Amino acid sequence: MPHKSAMTELDAGELPGTAVFDGRRSRRGYRLNKLAMSLTEPANRARFLGEPEAYMDAFGLGEAEKDAVRRRDWAALIAAGGNIYLLLKIAATVGQTLLQMGAQMRGESLDAFMATRPGRSAR
Amino acid sequence: MTARILGGIGTSHAPSIAHAYDKGLQAEPLWAPLFAGYAPAKAWLAAQRPDLLIVLYNDHMNRFFFDAYPTFALGVGERHALADEGWGRRDFPDLPGDADFAWHLAESLIADEFDPTICQELAVDHGILSVLPLLCDPPWPAAVVPLAVNVIQHPLPTARRLWKLGHALRRAVHSYAKNLRVVVLGTGGLSHQLHGERFGFVNPEWDNRFLDLLEHEPEVLASYSHRQYMEWGGAESVEMIMWLGMRGALGPKVRRVHRHYYAPLITGYGLAVYENEQ
Repeated sequence: MPHKSAMTELDAGELPGTAVFDGRRSRRGYRLNKLAMSLTEPANRARFLGEPEAYMDAFGLGEAEKDAVRRRDWAALIAAGGNIYLLLKIAATVGQTLLQMGAQMRGESLDAFMATRPGRSAR
Repeated sequence: MTARILGGIGTSHAPSIAHAYDKGLQAEPLWAPLFAGYAPAKAWLAAQRPDLLIVLYNDHMNRFFFDAYPTFALGVGERHALADEGWGRRDFPDLPGDADFAWHLAESLIADEFDPTICQELAVDHGILSVLPLLCDPPWPAAVVPLAVNVIQHPLPTARRLWKLGHALRRAVHSYAKNLRVVVLGTGGLSHQLHGERFGFVNPEWDNRFLDLLEHEPEVLASYSHRQYMEWGGAESVEMIMWLGMRGALGPKVRRVHRHYYAPLITGYGLAVYENEQ
């Protein structure tokens, strides 16, 4: 049986609307993801909320990354190599939910997204 | 008398389940079917009187970061703290561990050519804790040995690797010279995608096929690639390979005790309980 690496398999065709979190993304998003990881400490959440610019500078974020964080542009942060589980920590810290993030990444309003869900009537 | 595996549980894990629990939404129309679905599993587990739960799960960037990310990580501590995932620690007691068994498991797995990172401190997250309170009430009635799997940063271990890991778990339990009653849990999935334009992708047809195959033809599931799992169930649903570790720890033939499925929002919540056929 020929050797088939996971990367070869992934390169065989991108899944639409999907950013498979591989080594390339993990390298690209390392500083952004490291900032997000720090938010598992309550004191760091307070620091980030109090002085977001200084906090982002301390983690060495680039201007495009900082801008995307300021705009809560989750789609751009995924493109920058952000991992969704880590971006969720940034979102929670600034008061957004996973469903809000998802609607933004899909390019629609939260109401429009929720209208597509079977459980909407039970909300 | 050695330790023995009584059965296994496959269950989704999700922050949404923890949120619904903590907010007391168990009777709300949206959540009632989910919580009701766990009642038979909870009753079964209580009747088994397990001493030990081996739980295959994944850490969601709470204990481990990409500075050093283990493919497999085993919690060998006397207890396991609960992680703060970025929105505060949940109000539950720490999980009791079983250091003696866990070190035996480490030795057995490594002799069997599986090489987990051995963790004397392994704070656990919703990968375990979102569903544990639906399966038993605190104070926790059994020790927990957590086994974390990389299902986040590709390259991931293959589905077949998890299937074989299950076999290795079984050998480890059966070679432990103490009369322990063990239940193996595989967590994660079922279909869901949490990022990108495909956010919210759910595939109940595939999820139910997965549950059929897991029960009767698990080796078919071991043959599928990560890409197939991601295409059929969404990128983050690749967690489903962890259920194969549970199924592989059981015998070829199992008796299904319970099965439940509910997909109201952005995750196919699945649950399966199997007993080993003696």
